[in-house]
Amino acid sequence: MAALIRSLRAVRSLRGLGSVVATTCPASLYGGLRRGFHRAALLASDSKSDQTVPPPSHHEHYQHEDPWPNTSYQDQSGEQAEDYETEDQLQARILTAALEFVPQHGWTVEAIAAGAETLGLSAASAGMFDNGAGDLVLHFVGQCNVQLTEILAEEHNQVQLGQAEKKKTADFLRHAVETRLRMLVPYIDTWPQAMSLLLLPHNIPESLKHLSTLVDDIWYYAGDRSTDMSWYTRRAALTGIYNTTELVMVQDSSPDFEETWVFLDNRIRDVVNMANTAKQVQATGEAVVQGLMGAAVTLKNITGVNQRR
Amino acid sequence: MAASFKELPRRIVQIRNRSARFGPRNPLGNSTFRTEVSAYRCCSGAAAGRSTHFGFESVPEGEKAERVYKVFESVAQKYDVMNDAMSLGIHRLWKDSLLRLMNPQPGLKLLDTAGGTGDISFRFLEYTRSVREGQLRHRARANQTPSWQEIAAGYGSEGEEPAESRAVVCDINKEMLKVGKERAETAGITTGLSWVVGDAEELPFNDDQFDVYTIAFGIRNVTHIEQALQEALRVLKPGGRFMCLEFSKVSNPLLSRLYDAYSFQMIPVLGEVIAGDWKSYQYLVESIRRFPDQETFKEMIEEAGFFRVQYVNLTGGVVAIHSGFKL
Repeated sequence: MAALIRSLRAVRSLRGLGSVVATTCPASLYGGLRRGFHRAALLASDSKSDQTVPPPSHHEHYQHEDPWPNTSYQDQSGEQAEDYETEDQLQARILTAALEFVPQHGWTVEAIAAGAETLGLSAASAGMFDNGAGDLVLHFVGQCNVQLTEILAEEHNQVQLGQAEKKKTADFLRHAVETRLRMLVPYIDTWPQAMSLLLLPHNIPESLKHLSTLVDDIWYYAGDRSTDMSWYTRRAALTGIYNTTELVMVQDSSPDFEETWVFLDNRIRDVVNMANTAKQVQATGEAVVQGLMGAAVTLKNITGVNQRR
Repeated sequence: MAASFKELPRRIVQIRNRSARFGPRNPLGNSTFRTEVSAYRCCSGAAAGRSTHFGFESVPEGEKAERVYKVFESVAQKYDVMNDAMSLGIHRLWKDSLLRLMNPQPGLKLLDTAGGTGDISFRFLEYTRSVREGQLRHRARANQTPSWQEIAAGYGSEGEEPAESRAVVCDINKEMLKVGKERAETAGITTGLSWVVGDAEELPFNDDQFDVYTIAFGIRNVTHIEQALQEALRVLKPGGRFMCLEFSKVSNPLLSRLYDAYSFQMIPVLGEVIAGDWKSYQYLVESIRRFPDQETFKEMIEEAGFFRVQYVNLTGGVVAIHSGFKL
C-alpha cells in the first residue's frame, strides 16, 4: 500500500509540474481563498505556541473582525444581508467553523451542517457544498499548507535578518515536515477517513495539487533553486517521505508521536545517503571510464597501432 | 391533433410592468402596453387590468387564481392516480431525486408549498428519520466501550440527541390538503406534519421560519411567480434553501417531439378516461409549455435574491430541479 501510494505520489508530483513551475512565489497560488483565511492563519500563529489549526473559539474572533472591504463580485441585487463577502469567503468561513465538529462527527456533511449553525446559518446551507465532506478535507489541507508556508517564510526572514542560524537541508526538511504533520494532531483519530476521502477519484486532482505545492514550498524555503533533473528527484523524494511519515503517524500510539519523528529522521537520512551515494557512484563511474580509456590508449601505443608510417 | 394545437394563435399577453405600476386610466400607462390588447379588460382597477396566461388562453390576473383553484378542486381525488398514469410512475423517482439533492439533516423544518397531497413532505420525514436512526445507532455503538475520560465528560451534560424534523404542507386548495391528510393517516405518519391553507404569493408565516422551502410542480400555477419567490426568500432562515421541482424545456429535439405528442394526445385522453376531466389536463400540459425554461427561471430566482442558484435536468429536461440559497 505504501509503495503504491509512493509511486502514485511520484507520478503526481511529476504531473503537478505545470502548476508548480509557474509558482515562483507560493502566495500567488491561492488567490481569494487565501485572503479568506489569511487572517485565520495569522491569528492562529499569534494565539498559539504550538502550530496546530486555530482553536475552536477562533471563528468568533473571525466574525468580529469582519467586514471585509466590499468585494461582492457575485452580488446580484446590490443589497446583501451578508457582510459584503463573496460566496467563496462565506464557504471558507463555514468550513473553518465546521472543523471544530470533526472530532465529533467525522469528516462528513453533518460536521459542515453543525459548522454552519454556529455561524447563524441554517443547516440546510451545507447543501452548498457539492462535494460534501471532500470539500471540508480539501479546505483543511489547503489551510494547513498556507499556515506552513507562512511559518517557513517567517523563519526565512529571521535568517535573512541574521536573528537565526541557517539550518542544514536535512534538518530543515525534518523541521518542515514535522511542523506540517503536527497540524494533524487534533484530528488524528479521524485522519484515516480524511485520507480515504482525498484518494477518491474525483478528489485526486485537487489533493495532488495541494501535495505538490506543499512539497514545492518546502523545497523552495530549503533553498533549492535547481533547474535540472534534481528538481524532480528532490520533490519525488520529499513526497515519498511525507506520505510514508503520514501513514506511520496515523497508527502511532507513542507519546507525542516520538516513533513518527524517529521514522522521519531515518527516512531523511536515507535520502541524503542516497543522494551522496548517487554522487559517489557517478564520480566513480567517471573515474573508471577514464581509467579504461587511458588503458586502451596505452595498449594502442604499445602495439604500435597509433604510429603513423 | 397536436399540429392544430401548435398552430393555435397565441394571443398571450404577458405584460411585465414591474417598474411602472400605472392604472389603466393613465394615458402614459396605456402607451406602455403592447398592441395585442384584445384580451385586455380596462377600467376596473390595476389587478384586473393586466392579464396573464392560463394554459394557452389568456385571462385577467384576478381570474387565474380562481380557475387554478377549480382545476385542482376537481382533480384532487384522482390526483395521485393520474400522476402515476401520466408519468408511468416516474414522478416518484423525480421526487426521490429532489430529496437526495436536498440531503436534509435531522432537525430541519421544511415548508412544502403547493404540497397538495404531501408527497414531498412524506419523503422528507422518512429520509430524516432514517438518517436520524442511523446517527443514533452510530452513537450507541460508539458509546459501547467508553473510556474513563468520556464517562467523566458525560456527567452533567446529557448527550444531545439529533433533533426531530418537521414538515409543513401549505396549499391554497383545501381539497388537496384533505386528500393529503387522509394519505398521512393511512401511511401512519402522525407526528411532525402540519397542514396549512395558504397562498404561495402571500404565505401565512413569519419571517425566517424554515430551513428548506420546496415547491414541487406548483410554481407554474402561481399567477405572480416573482412574488412567490420573494415570499420564499422571506420565510426562509438565513442559510435556508429554496428548491423547485418543475416541468421544463426538453433540449433534445427528437425527445421534444415525442414528449409533445405524448402530452397533447395522451394526457387529456387519460384525464378523461381516469378522472373524467379533459379540460383540467389540457390546462396542465399547456401550462407546462407556458412556463419559462431552465435558464430564464434560474435568472428569476437570482433576481429574487437567492445565491448559488443551480439547476439539474432530469429525464432529459422534462423536469428540472432548481436550487438556491438565502445567504
